[in-house]
Amino acid sequence: MDTTELIRIGVYGTSILLILIGLYAVLTKRSLIKIIIGLSIIDGGIHLLLIGIGYIKDGTAPIFSPGSENAVARMVDPVPQALVLTAIVIGFGVTAVALSLVIRLYRHHNTLKIDEIKNLKW
Amino acid sequence: MKKAIVILMLAVFGYFLAITFLDPQFEAERNRDGVKKFYLDKTVSELKTANTVTAIVVNFRGFDTLGEVTVLFLAATALGSILFKKRHHIGDRTVLLPASAIVGSGAKLIFPAITLLGVYVFVHGHLTPGGGFQGGTIIATGFLLMLIAYRDFSISHNILSVIESLAGIGFVTFGLLGFMNGGTFLQNFLGTGVLNDLLSGGVIPIIYILVGFKVAAELTGLIYTVLHEKG
Amino acid sequence: MVGSPVFLIAIPLLAAFLIPLLGMVWKELVRIVPGLVLAYLTFLSATLYIDVINSDTIVETIAGWRAPWGIDLVFSPLTGFLSTIMTFMGFIVWLYSYRFKRNVEFEAAKKYFIFLMLLVAASVGIVITGDIFNQFVFIEITGISAYALTAFYTGRNSAEAAFKYLVMGSLSASALLIAIIIVYAQLGTLNMAEIAANIDNMNVEYRIIAMIFFIIGIGVEAEIFPLNGWAPDAYTEAPGPVGGAFAGIVVKAGIYAMVRMMFTLFNISGPMQILIIIGMITLIIAETSALRQDKLKRMLAYSSIGQMGLVLVAFGMGTQAGVFAALFLMLNHAIIKPMLFLSGSYLEFNTKNKYIKEITGMGKKMPVVSAIFVLGALAISGLPPFSGFWSKLSVLTAAADENMILIITLVLIISLVEIVYYFRVINRLFFFDYDLEISVEPHKPGWNGMVALFVLAGIILFIGFYPSSVTGFLDLAARDLMDTHDYINNVLQLGQSIIQ
Repeated sequence: MDTTELIRIGVYGTSILLILIGLYAVLTKRSLIKIIIGLSIIDGGIHLLLIGIGYIKDGTAPIFSPGSENAVARMVDPVPQALVLTAIVIGFGVTAVALSLVIRLYRHHNTLKIDEIKNLKW
Repeated sequence: MKKAIVILMLAVFGYFLAITFLDPQFEAERNRDGVKKFYLDKTVSELKTANTVTAIVVNFRGFDTLGEVTVLFLAATALGSILFKKRHHIGDRTVLLPASAIVGSGAKLIFPAITLLGVYVFVHGHLTPGGGFQGGTIIATGFLLMLIAYRDFSISHNILSVIESLAGIGFVTFGLLGFMNGGTFLQNFLGTGVLNDLLSGGVIPIIYILVGFKVAAELTGLIYTVLHEKG
Repeated sequence: MVGSPVFLIAIPLLAAFLIPLLGMVWKELVRIVPGLVLAYLTFLSATLYIDVINSDTIVETIAGWRAPWGIDLVFSPLTGFLSTIMTFMGFIVWLYSYRFKRNVEFEAAKKYFIFLMLLVAASVGIVITGDIFNQFVFIEITGISAYALTAFYTGRNSAEAAFKYLVMGSLSASALLIAIIIVYAQLGTLNMAEIAANIDNMNVEYRIIAMIFFIIGIGVEAEIFPLNGWAPDAYTEAPGPVGGAFAGIVVKAGIYAMVRMMFTLFNISGPMQILIIIGMITLIIAETSALRQDKLKRMLAYSSIGQMGLVLVAFGMGTQAGVFAALFLMLNHAIIKPMLFLSGSYLEFNTKNKYIKEITGMGKKMPVVSAIFVLGALAISGLPPFSGFWSKLSVLTAAADENMILIITLVLIISLVEIVYYFRVINRLFFFDYDLEISVEPHKPGWNGMVALFVLAGIILFIGFYPSSVTGFLDLAARDLMDTHDYINNVLQLGQSIIQ
């Protein structure tokens, strides 16, 4: 197994692990804030996965600077980078809305425990 | 018991992800060229934009970015709507303790530098790494610092909302101007200049600067709304 | 030329950014402008739809890069049909809520109309876009406006419902993103037509995994079991018109995304067991739950989920007749269910706990609204001569063509169940005496709400008596969905793939 393969498995493996950790937090934790942290960890894992897709050995950033116009062959795929930018911003928006909902739930019930908020049991 | 079920589920889920992504075949069968080569070529030859990622974000997939900006706008609006109270309590903040003199003067010292860095990042979005989203976020962190350091530091919500709206309108208007001049929405209709010049890339830097203003105003507004929340 | 498909997205976004400024000039504008925009969208969509039917599918490129390099919008007989219904229903919901929100403070009303407009625009975006990542972005915009609308009333338990919806929506968006990553890594493109053209190059194993992730990713908006746990709570806690908008607009977009993925992206022909199974489970569980509900809106929500299950079963048959029946069901559901929600929320306007028993005897106090509710109930449970009858009949004939006895029995049993629970409500409305101890003072409906309800009722009666007036459109739309080859040709304009 060469280093490229190791790097690849490392990146994909880490991101899959992050997704699983986040999912575990969402499914088992009883605190609203921890659920949101779980969602953010899942997001992080997916963003890493998305960036990992673009990886090539000895690649450079897809930015042209004077004198490097013929580096095209070594440039990594720019599409996943553009997609991940969009995905991060969307994830940020969802997290902000989630946190504001938690603030309101806390205002009503004075607790963050999911068991004490009746509608959230499912 | 419940944890056991969850772990079992996660194991199945992880197994499926692993057989997909960790399989050497997944790499071997990939189509590595796809749209990538076209983007790298056209960015230099037609758009004259040094940063390919910016060219994709603002031009090739500019429609996504319009949606992305809308998501931020919606998040800011939703925050206001969800935390809305009939009786207005906006005034003193209870979340923060007073900051020390060191933090206060330090914040004053760094704030202009942070803002300048943010502006630099979004003005040079088409040449160097970074762009409207990154620059806007940097500027918002500057305001966050000021809000932490000075309890009575206040920003007018109306001004933020006007900046936000104008930047959004500007984005769509440039898209529509592209429609009138070139026939498709968001099309580049300005001269593209010389690669690696500050004034190159046609509408790309203009739109990214608008995005920068919008993101900075929205994030600052979000921070401000949440900080003024009484627990 | 009144515009091009991109205006369906660009104009509402422009208006959404403008509304905060307009609100500073004259407060009434924040109510009027969204209505004007939605009316314009309906007009634009209908005009383009007529164009498309008479000539050819419109493929609009964005930023001057044609597919597969740029994002493209596809306005075909199918997408045009759906976007016309959606924009029209959006306008009706706006009309209904125009005065309803007058008793709410200005800031809140402004935000309500922004969310409503973006909800409609993004749902239309899900339908007309030709790019999977762009579809993901629109699904998220729909999602965030839906969360905000669900949590709109601060007084109720709406934040819980919205939080539940948000957690599920966000998990499924993650699944959708994983599916997009798998497809992009394997095929190097995000364009739907390009994917459809190259799907055979993808390893079967990866194809199945990607498809599962797609189904999970879209399932929340399409309300399939078990991803619909949010729906009853959200429909109940959201303001009345919003329930109608969810049932009439958002779910339709979700179902469309699901079938577009199955029929075009993965290019499956013939019966799709997976859709039939998912649909049947959803149908059975939702309808039996509806039977047990004691709150009006929860009952309507479960009924709505059940109907979507039936739509998926019909799509799953994979035949021209099946798709036709599914589209007919979607059309009827898009009109009848919002009508039930809108009239239902007038009926239970002043009730405290929204229980069905609290509207006892309302038939005598609010005869017109009750009559409209009854019309909707009869139509949706498929009694002749209303429009729902024809769509259920077409499901039955489609199933009979394929000798699917199980589906026929199921549809008949489910229709009986629907009749039972709708008659429970009708019974309470008309055959019980109005009693001040259990029921409440009726709420006087506004003229705008009545106009909206009468328009919907008129359409239902019209389709009921002249079903042939819509079957032509439905037939074209069904043919459009079935013909993947034509879709690829239209978008790529070459008849073959550009990427090697």
